[in-house]
Amino acid sequence: MKKLKNATLLLSALGCMTLASCGGGKGGTTAAPKIGVLVADVSGEEAQAFRTYMTEYVAKQYGATIEYTTALENAADEKSAIEDFAGRGFDAIISMSSSDRAAQLATCVQNKIYYTVGSGMLDDKVYETYKGNEYFLGQIGPSMQTEYEAGLAMGQYYKAKGVDHVGMYGAFIPNPMHVFRAAGVIVGLGDTYGEASEMGAIVGQIYADNGIQQAKIGGDVTVDYMAGFDPTTTYSTLGSIIGSGIDAFLSVGMATTFFSQNLNDAKIPYGDIDAFTSSNGTNMSSGSLNYLAGKYASSLGPVYALIANAKNGHSIRDAQGNAPSISQSYAVATSSEEFTALAAKESGDTRIFSKEVLDSMIGDSVTYDAFVEAVQKERI
Amino acid sequence: MEQNRKINWKDLGKRTAGTIAIPLLFFVVLFSICLGNGRMLISSSAGLISFLVSVTTITITTMALSINLNSGRFDFSLGSMSVLAMILSSKIVYPLLGGGAGSAILMLLFSVIIGTVLGLISGGIYCLLRIPPIITSLAITLIFEGISFTLTGGSYVMDEVRGSSMSFFFGQWWAILLLLAIAMAFVIFMFDHTSFGYRYQSLRTGQKLAVNQGIKEIPNALACYGICGGLMGIVGFLQAGITTSVNGGSLNFASIAIMFTAFLPMFIGGYIGRFSNDKLGYFLAGLSMGMLNAFFSTFHNEIDVSVQSIINAVLLVLFLIYLANEQKIIGWFKKLFSKKNHAPAEQN
Repeated sequence: MKKLKNATLLLSALGCMTLASCGGGKGGTTAAPKIGVLVADVSGEEAQAFRTYMTEYVAKQYGATIEYTTALENAADEKSAIEDFAGRGFDAIISMSSSDRAAQLATCVQNKIYYTVGSGMLDDKVYETYKGNEYFLGQIGPSMQTEYEAGLAMGQYYKAKGVDHVGMYGAFIPNPMHVFRAAGVIVGLGDTYGEASEMGAIVGQIYADNGIQQAKIGGDVTVDYMAGFDPTTTYSTLGSIIGSGIDAFLSVGMATTFFSQNLNDAKIPYGDIDAFTSSNGTNMSSGSLNYLAGKYASSLGPVYALIANAKNGHSIRDAQGNAPSISQSYAVATSSEEFTALAAKESGDTRIFSKEVLDSMIGDSVTYDAFVEAVQKERI
Repeated sequence: MEQNRKINWKDLGKRTAGTIAIPLLFFVVLFSICLGNGRMLISSSAGLISFLVSVTTITITTMALSINLNSGRFDFSLGSMSVLAMILSSKIVYPLLGGGAGSAILMLLFSVIIGTVLGLISGGIYCLLRIPPIITSLAITLIFEGISFTLTGGSYVMDEVRGSSMSFFFGQWWAILLLLAIAMAFVIFMFDHTSFGYRYQSLRTGQKLAVNQGIKEIPNALACYGICGGLMGIVGFLQAGITTSVNGGSLNFASIAIMFTAFLPMFIGGYIGRFSNDKLGYFLAGLSMGMLNAFFSTFHNEIDVSVQSIINAVLLVLFLIYLANEQKIIGWFKKLFSKKNHAPAEQN
């Protein structure tokens, strides 16, 4: 009987020691989160840069489990991927895929798994519906207004260069971010779309047309427009556009992946909204890329901080209890020197959102205002 | 003897008409629409190169697909073979030549060799497992796609397939035509003028009888897979050259799309082959599809990529409907024309 009593005491003591060892840090538990990332693009330069940062920097620095999906093609794929992550005990989802974000959020809530947006922004209505939900942790990335402004700045840059005739690539319109960027480019060039020159009116028409109709682009600068990607026809179209004597080629995404060789060979100055990757550095130093608005890979870091805080039982919320919605801007390089200076801040273990910066954003003492300030602080 | 040498003009006319009817129809319809809208089917040198690459890619893919399909072996792995062959080829050649002089030709050569090896692996697995090729080829597709993804980390292979040598090669229309001519000559020679080809035809038309006569089907099937792989190596090279990249992120059967581009031309080519030679038929079908792609490119602002897919699918269905009801349709036309011819006589 005495032996049994001693054994019980020993077990109790061990149990207490185990529980005590689980605590620690400022916010109690410090267990690293398990995160599933939904992606539609697995191959693009920008997507690769984000992935490298998350899997080779954040995951290693924090011991987090970060798993990417294969390329998700539709809403059903997204739902299935979330259910798979939830079933395997993952803590959170970062959405970089936007086939149906409302359905993604609903699936996460249903499966009691945290949800964050790491690229693009939710539709206003969806955000309003879910902003107070405990499983929605927030969205950090360029807002649609920022996307529009990125396109606008690129259009204005080439307009100031005195272009009369340009090629324009609309990438994967009606993808919202491409729609807003394209609207910005048109306005930046000083042109109109369907006689409209205001963001909302142009965007509305592009959605209604389910794409851009070249005939509706009017103004002093002639635009030869193309969109989508099909290896059997796209390059012939590009050849025709290059052959028509354009002064520049403006793309709202992916041109540096698909067309840089053709544009470099033809010595056509071109601009793109993409990422600060090594091949874009080469395109800028020895090719004809002369305008790049890019996200930097570690801009995804704050989303990790949101998840880590929630995992530690301290979700970042504003005074009304709403999840944060924070817009990030693009960095722009118009010369090889500018590109090199920007890229130097984001290579290997040197990161704009480094562990040191992220550590200051994770913990029980981090307030909503401090978090927003840390995200929006000028770092480039 | 003289009677044997006498040309049957009626038969020749019928055969010629049957051979050129479809490409001629494509040309007349598409060219007329372009002309009516004040546009050209091909309006730049880049457009011409793109057209030639399109014709060559479709023709070679169609030949590769038909080799096994005509023998009842459905091979889904063709697309994954072309992608993996080109990825491996570029990874071997780029460190050697850095994209400089000679790298395009060397990449083509390696792509063909690696494609052949991949084809043999695919065929070997089919022969070894002896389960329906439609199943083994699906598994092989996933394996090849997975290897491509692992080798590239899912990213586009870009630097390796760019450079002065590739730019030069894909700037020469004659180089692409020469490649097409060599590929066609090789396939025609192998399948129409060698004992391997005779055995292939024999197995294709009556497998049991051919096997009973002592023709070994396994070596023949393996050789077919090897040739298909080699041809798909050329396709991989052409795709990489025109798109200046190879997508290493194709997973979950995404590479099958490459094979599906050959379905309509295969049926059209088979139909044309009835009047002449099936390989010539595949080329003329490839030419027709190339014209259609050039047309899509000309009207890219009016016909987007999704509508193009629908048009391709509708054409395939219409052509299959025609093939399935050919005699009935010809009968209707005959009736219609004979009625029209008789009508004035009755009035008189």
